[in-house]
Amino acid sequence: MLENLTQTEQAILNVIKTVIDPEVEINIVDLGLIYKISHNEADKKIEVVMTLSARGCPVGDVIIQHVETVILDRWTDYSVDVELTWEPEWTPDMITDQGKNFLNM
Amino acid sequence: MKAGLSTKNAPSHLVVLPHYAMGAIAFLIASVLLFFTAKEISLGYGGGKIVSITHILVLGWVTMIIYGALYQLIPVVMEVKLFSEILAYISFVTLNVGTVLMAIHFWNNYIGNSLLIEIGGTLIFVSVFLFAINAGMSAIKSKQRTIENRFIVTSILWLLGTVLFGIFIIVNVSKGLIDISRTDLLKIHVGFGIIGWFMMLVIGVASKLLPMFFIAHKLQRKYLNLSYFFTNGGLLVAIIMFYFLKESYLVLIPIAIVIIGLLFFVKYNYDAYKARLRKKLDVGMKLSVLSFLLLFTTIVFAILSFFKLEVFYTAYGVSLILGFFTSLILGQMYKTLPFIVWLHKYQDKVGKFKIPMPASMYSEKVAELHYYSFIVAIILILIGLILSSIIIIKISAVAFIITAILYCYNTFLIIFHKEKIEDLKK
Repeated sequence: MLENLTQTEQAILNVIKTVIDPEVEINIVDLGLIYKISHNEADKKIEVVMTLSARGCPVGDVIIQHVETVILDRWTDYSVDVELTWEPEWTPDMITDQGKNFLNM
Repeated sequence: MKAGLSTKNAPSHLVVLPHYAMGAIAFLIASVLLFFTAKEISLGYGGGKIVSITHILVLGWVTMIIYGALYQLIPVVMEVKLFSEILAYISFVTLNVGTVLMAIHFWNNYIGNSLLIEIGGTLIFVSVFLFAINAGMSAIKSKQRTIENRFIVTSILWLLGTVLFGIFIIVNVSKGLIDISRTDLLKIHVGFGIIGWFMMLVIGVASKLLPMFFIAHKLQRKYLNLSYFFTNGGLLVAIIMFYFLKESYLVLIPIAIVIIGLLFFVKYNYDAYKARLRKKLDVGMKLSVLSFLLLFTTIVFAILSFFKLEVFYTAYGVSLILGFFTSLILGQMYKTLPFIVWLHKYQDKVGKFKIPMPASMYSEKVAELHYYSFIVAIILILIGLILSSIIIIKISAVAFIITAILYCYNTFLIIFHKEKIEDLKK
């Protein structure tokens, strides 16, 4: 899903990599939770579409808030919108190779 | 679009934490009392002291933790806010006072009634009634019509039935309303409470939490639906048949149906275990997996106890309450309490400061130690019961005391966790 990212979008993705899922203890990018990143320089807007590994995840909105915080920390003059989606439903197949290595899958 | 998020619905930590604290203390008290009643337990005699410990465990330990956990989990499972935090506080106080009064009454006087049991019983009824209203009203507000929710709502109905039946037994002792022995009435009471209330609730909550913590997907939910109909249908028929036929072997038919229902629940969670993302289990999940093994021993003892083998009746109760429920609670504490405290302490600090992870808020070493002391304790008490050995039961009680002390240590370490934040640049 995260294909053809611009240089800035890739930089945003790298920043989001600092967000760790407190239960699994790996970053949410390698966990495959980030579906889409878009960066609009003219409107000064960053949009992230992401999911969680389970509905009702007890730390769900902390993770979302964390994503907003780390992006705003770097792109201070932007507005950041993190959208939570359940479509498509997250599955372990979405974990990156690096994530799979960490989890010994 | 934030449907499915539960953090904003979470109640104040002050509602939840006292339940975990008092539950841990009740477990410790019950373990100490176990040591001093080894002789009575070895005789398989359900005297007052045993009934007293049973009430401390069932009400002060299991019910207390279930209340606390559910106040936190209702927003997770049902995606709604808890109906009332004030009702939760009142329910907490009445459960505590009621449990103490009932435990003192049974310790001193098993046969007759007393003011203590009347006040204690009333307080427990008030507590349960308020809890049922709170959980029930939350469920009504929920748009989630999942099978896990249905289990939880059904468990609340069984809980009301349990308490009403308990009060009926107390009234029947003095008024003699129906001609059925107190022992038989107690067996129905236990059926309502253990299978109806605890098991339905455990199935509903565990089937939501365990796959979530295992991070297992694409599970066959038909097993949960089958489990729901088999356990509830079987239990209802078993209670009615037991009332009319007493311990006729015909009652084994609905009991077998309940057991099949439990096996469907085990199958669902076994599939989640097999499909789990993290192959290495932390201590919380190891204890949870252990609880399923203890559910098997419980089923075996339940079947054996039906064949007039009284010793197995006590073993069945011990395996269920001190084995299955206790193991599940010991384990799931590590999967819930650290997150509750972590959210309270660090929710507004994520991304701004370097903060600890929930798993670092307790001692993993202490948790591992009480995992092993618990295994020793439960194996020894079951052997001690079967062999009617006072000394083995006493040694097992020591292992339970060690388990409880270590568990209390970690529980209070988490509850009184001091905020640790560092500058991100460091």
